[in-house]
Amino acid sequence: MTACLLETRTVSRNFGALAAVSDVEFRLEVGARHALIGPNGAGKTTFINLLTGVLRPTQGRVMLKGRDVTDIPEAQRVKLGIARTFQINRLFRGLTVLENVYIAVSERLGIALDMFRPAGARRDVIEEAMHLIAALKLEDDTGRRVSELPYGRQRLVEIAIALGLKPEVLLLDEPAAGVPSAESHIILDAIGSLSEQIGVLIIEHDMDVVFRFAERITVMVGGRIFAEGTPKEIAADPEIRAVYLGQAYHG
Amino acid sequence: MIVAAIKPTEHLAALAFAGRHRPRVWEPAPWIFAIAFYFAFPNYLGFGTELLVTILFALSLDLVLGYAGIITLGHAAFFGAGAYTVGMLAYHGIWNEPISSLMLAAIVAALVGLGSGLVLLRTQGLTLLMLTLCTMALLEEAANLGHEYTGGFDGLASLPIPPLLGLFEFNPLYPRTQYLYVLIVLFIAFLFVRTLIYSPFGQSLAGIRENTLRMHAVGSPVRARLITCYTISAAIAGIAGGLWAQANAYVNLTTLSLDRAAMVLIALILGGYGRIYGGFVGAVAYMALAHFLAKLYPTGWQLGLGLLLVVIALFARNGILGIGEALLRRIRAKHMPQ
Repeated sequence: MTACLLETRTVSRNFGALAAVSDVEFRLEVGARHALIGPNGAGKTTFINLLTGVLRPTQGRVMLKGRDVTDIPEAQRVKLGIARTFQINRLFRGLTVLENVYIAVSERLGIALDMFRPAGARRDVIEEAMHLIAALKLEDDTGRRVSELPYGRQRLVEIAIALGLKPEVLLLDEPAAGVPSAESHIILDAIGSLSEQIGVLIIEHDMDVVFRFAERITVMVGGRIFAEGTPKEIAADPEIRAVYLGQAYHG
Repeated sequence: MIVAAIKPTEHLAALAFAGRHRPRVWEPAPWIFAIAFYFAFPNYLGFGTELLVTILFALSLDLVLGYAGIITLGHAAFFGAGAYTVGMLAYHGIWNEPISSLMLAAIVAALVGLGSGLVLLRTQGLTLLMLTLCTMALLEEAANLGHEYTGGFDGLASLPIPPLLGLFEFNPLYPRTQYLYVLIVLFIAFLFVRTLIYSPFGQSLAGIRENTLRMHAVGSPVRARLITCYTISAAIAGIAGGLWAQANAYVNLTTLSLDRAAMVLIALILGGYGRIYGGFVGAVAYMALAHFLAKLYPTGWQLGLGLLLVVIALFARNGILGIGEALLRRIRAKHMPQ
């Protein structure tokens, strides 16, 4: 039995009459490589928003490392070790790649209130940012504005920012969406080289990515957990194939 | 092509970032101009003083508008708060030593900024714009109604401002002291703002401007940052207002008016916001234009200014400095070896 990093207890979220997420019991273990899959509108992103504190649950609790964080706002949860990427890029578009990553690292280190020293004088922050940029093969774009990069490269900046927060729980909302397949291995390599202590939850539609990455898969349908198991169990389940994977998939 | 393994901090773009705060060769130029102006135009030092105060005011506005992305139409609230602090303390014989009065002006304006910021900065966009306008209108009306203390509509005239450091007389007819005094204060405030915008704090303000939602997601206390920035900016605007009151030896409702808030906004947009020299270029351009247009068309000169602003808004969003930057980029691209 491994230790639990992040846990939800009968978490639900309604938008008016719509139950986007219902009674979800979920555990993310230390070192987990967990995938969350399900058809569009299954409530996956809403669930991530509940985990990160963007949304408050209508009922239920969210626990981080055994602590109830249900009422803790998003920014403070980041300080407790949760980081995420977004399904649709949310970047500092007018700033350079280096500045984007610098912001994340400096917030984590708590130096962002420093008004009297130049940002450039913090070589340690620059060095750490440059290592992340190198890990995501973005060196050639270091000094370019994010808005000038192709969408696929921008996706890599999303991940570099999240990694700059050195999270214990990393939530990736469709990290490979929009990344050319020739480059999607960069994302998997970067995630693969993360410490064993980090729990990673990935939402992904690309089944190749899911089955290459995940050691455990949760299937969500209609706001509820439909099934959970190892990739083998999920791939072999005829019901899941009918609901989600489709007949064309031969895993 | 063989690329030797270089240390990540020695990457060209990383080096550029590490040194971006270093002074450029041309940066002394505006200050040399300002000192040259003092010797070249002794009869225009009143105009020069007004110009320098406007630059300082524009600098404070640039911090919130250009760097933090806070949209405001009411920045004269802080200019007026500073001006009335100096004016009321001096007029009622409570305190009039210039430098400490200026500090009091900064503190009062900062408190107004902090108090209103705590409420206003929960909102954004059009709501924020209207609320900044309302704050300023409330202060203006308060100054109008409290005529026992503020002089009401007439303001407070003939403020007894003692010599600076006990040595340099403030002479309203030959405002040599005023000009140099304002120039020195502007320089100090400029150094502070310049340090701030290149600091990690300044970088986080740029992050808030570019994507507030992402800033929450990297764990930044966004509202606290904005309130801090708003308060600092208010203090600088208060210093500008205090200088204005000392230099002119009077204070009146125009310091709190929409005219003044709009004028500094137009000057900043004209020069280019989000660039630390935008206020310098914009204030000079605005005041020079206003001067010449008013001479040519004494009744309708503001029409010319309005048309120019429309052109800037349509074709040159980044103002005069933005045009300059675009030209430089084009020249560099042409001369770059392929």
